[in-house]
Amino acid sequence: MVLTRRAVALAALGVVPLVLWPVAGTVVVWAGVVVLVCALDVALAVPPRRVAVRRTVPAAVRLGTPVDSELVVSHPGRRRLRALVRDAWPPSLAADRDGDSLRPHTDPAAVTRTARHRVDLRPGESARLRTPLLATRRGERRAGPVTVRTYGPCGVAGRQASLPVGGRIRVLPEFASRRHLPSRLARLREMDGRAAVQVRGEGTEFDSLREYVVGDDVRSIDWRATARGGDVVVRTWRPERDRRVVVVLDTGRTAAARISAVDDGSLNTGGTRLEAGIEAALLLAALADRAGDRVQVLAYDRALRARVAGASGTRLLPAAADALAAVEPALRETDWTGLVGQVRARVSQRSLVVLLTSLDPAAVESGLLPVLGHLTGTHQVVVAAVQDGEVAAMRTGRDDVEAVYDAAAASRADLERSAVAAVLRRHGAEVVEALPAELAPRLADAYLALKAAGRL
Amino acid sequence: MTATVTWTSDPATDATTASRRRLRRHRARWVLVAAASLLLVVAVLLVTRSPGSTADLDPGNTRPNGSQAVARVLEQQGVTITHVTRVADALAAAGPDSTLLVTPSPFLLPEQADALAGTDADLVLAGAGRTLLTAATGAQVETDPLIGTPPEARPPGCELPAAVAAGPLVLEAGLVAVGDAVTTCWPSGDAAALAAVEQDGRQVTAVHDPSLLRNDTVADEGNAALALHLLGAHERLVWLVQDPTDLTAAPDGGRSGVEPDPAGVLPDWFGAALAWAALVALATVLWRGRRLGRLVAEDLPVVVPAAESTRGRARLYRRSRARGHAAAALRAATADRIAHRLGLPRAAGAPDVVDAVVRASGRHPDDVGALLYGPPPADDAELQELARRLDTLESEVHRP
Repeated sequence: MVLTRRAVALAALGVVPLVLWPVAGTVVVWAGVVVLVCALDVALAVPPRRVAVRRTVPAAVRLGTPVDSELVVSHPGRRRLRALVRDAWPPSLAADRDGDSLRPHTDPAAVTRTARHRVDLRPGESARLRTPLLATRRGERRAGPVTVRTYGPCGVAGRQASLPVGGRIRVLPEFASRRHLPSRLARLREMDGRAAVQVRGEGTEFDSLREYVVGDDVRSIDWRATARGGDVVVRTWRPERDRRVVVVLDTGRTAAARISAVDDGSLNTGGTRLEAGIEAALLLAALADRAGDRVQVLAYDRALRARVAGASGTRLLPAAADALAAVEPALRETDWTGLVGQVRARVSQRSLVVLLTSLDPAAVESGLLPVLGHLTGTHQVVVAAVQDGEVAAMRTGRDDVEAVYDAAAASRADLERSAVAAVLRRHGAEVVEALPAELAPRLADAYLALKAAGRL
Repeated sequence: MTATVTWTSDPATDATTASRRRLRRHRARWVLVAAASLLLVVAVLLVTRSPGSTADLDPGNTRPNGSQAVARVLEQQGVTITHVTRVADALAAAGPDSTLLVTPSPFLLPEQADALAGTDADLVLAGAGRTLLTAATGAQVETDPLIGTPPEARPPGCELPAAVAAGPLVLEAGLVAVGDAVTTCWPSGDAAALAAVEQDGRQVTAVHDPSLLRNDTVADEGNAALALHLLGAHERLVWLVQDPTDLTAAPDGGRSGVEPDPAGVLPDWFGAALAWAALVALATVLWRGRRLGRLVAEDLPVVVPAAESTRGRARLYRRSRARGHAAAALRAATADRIAHRLGLPRAAGAPDVVDAVVRASGRHPDDVGALLYGPPPADDAELQELARRLDTLESEVHRP
């Protein structure tokens, strides 16, 4: 049973007869009237469980893209249905209308108005209700029940029930770093066309023969072919193809660290190290796939959390986004021995192994360093780490004494990290360290540089 | 472009409604069981509760803080005891041939004290406050609760019959005689445990320490004898244990100006309207309190602020005044960045770095050396200054 504001107003009206006839009988009579009207309204309200509800949602949505959850409410009963319907979704999907656009619903004290719908249906009719959703957090989200509150003819009281209707949306990573993809692809094509002038090195492979033009390197003239033909012919080279790229995301405790604060009061806790790692992994996967390499993506802490292998072309990115959508950082120390074992089990040939982790000195010294030799022996290893934007801001603080001490501590942390990077380089690994927004393009550049140098 | 998935609500089949009804009946049974056991517990508590009052010095209270012992003995001696809790009742019951005992009443109003002092009965004031003492004795006796008394029996030291019968006592002394017509007994220093005044043809006796009436101490020394003598002087005894809510000050039980009559100020429907407002408030609670379906929970990842450890280290530097460490970190970071910019190897020593910086910035070698490898700063201001100068140096260094 539910009361409405009209029931309260009706009860409050009772003060008038009470003032006119201040006897106990008035109280009893008016209380009886209120209870009777409410009971009648409840009895005449449509039973909410008779209402049939169908919910339709997209299976997957990219983070930050608005979608609609669609409810079809049908009313098979005989009486007119006046109801309030709530389409419940987890808080990180709740959105508020802001003019024509949507913005995340951030006030935890306020109800989500966009999820509530008034319905007035004659018998046999049905209504289509759209609840706008705006995902602010990656992962798999399950919808709550659909609550139907039906009112009686007077609108004084009614009945309410929560109908268990399923619903699930997989929120995929945003892949904001895709804006860097066109420029990197252009560089890749440049590398292809540069073939003739490029100094031949290991890792480049023979492509074709063509006529000499002025400016070509004389060292690439193919004398045998020139003698056969008559024109001067040069060999062209292209970057190697069909190399293997293994991107490994460390989802252990260092990945849970928040490296950029989100202070809009929402549940959007994005900005963990893992988010930046996923962005970089997706860009590298897209780029390497277009460059003709075979890409694998692994997420690992103490067990394999996600794996994408065997997909290429247009199927690769959706598969990778889908696999990484539900990966959350675990508050555990990463098992680097197990991780290296996974990589060695997955690829036997020489490949590019990209480790997306952090350069936390203690974690690297006790975890990665002892086992790095097993990888660098057979593979080209790139250690990509996300820098903390807040620490970078602290380093330049000079406002007061406290800021200077902060800057000193940040500088010391930087020195320690660069020492760790130097040790890693000595062990044969490339190290890329950048702020969250720059990690993806920097890692892509490192990949292109390795490819150009033929070191894959 | 994206695939959609559709879910439907369960049709309300007979099976589900029947199971729901069964569930509801099951739940109702539990509610009934809980209510019945609650009622049982309340009933048991009501039955087993010890009878009688629990108020201090109440004649019907059998606990250590009560006074039923004295009351029973007095009744056996033929004294009729009237137990009252309101000043009005006490004034109505007290007459010329009776004793009025006033037990400690911290909530006594001045009007009530005056009314009690105006009665014809003999007054026995046990542990009375300043207001009542002043009113009843005509300001001849005052109380000073700060006077300490050694806990040993003292002889009465006065000719009062009750005191002579009681003999040595350990009662606390706290009454100070101001007038001449006061008889004081069991003195200790300036104060006395008992003060008696003959006024307007009746006896007013004040006892500072009411413990002579308590069940647990009445049998000590001569307490009982004193209590029986004081309270058994007349056939009738009025025993006032004031209720804290009592505001009456006249024998008719009326409100002689102490308490304004709410009925006179407010309209007669006010009480009913107030009760009705409570009902409306209840309806409002029912209206606002019903949620439109339950909350939908969401698992949040544990998020660790990464800069926390760096900030912690900064606080440690600051708290331990480790200016040397802080300056060394700032200098090393600057030297590292400059060396990187000038293309020096990581293993380059201090002289090489200074040389390179001098060549790149045109500064004096001593100046650069002191800045990058000088002594640690002496205080926080110097540290701040050092940081600023390191910034300036770094901005002046360009690739040669």
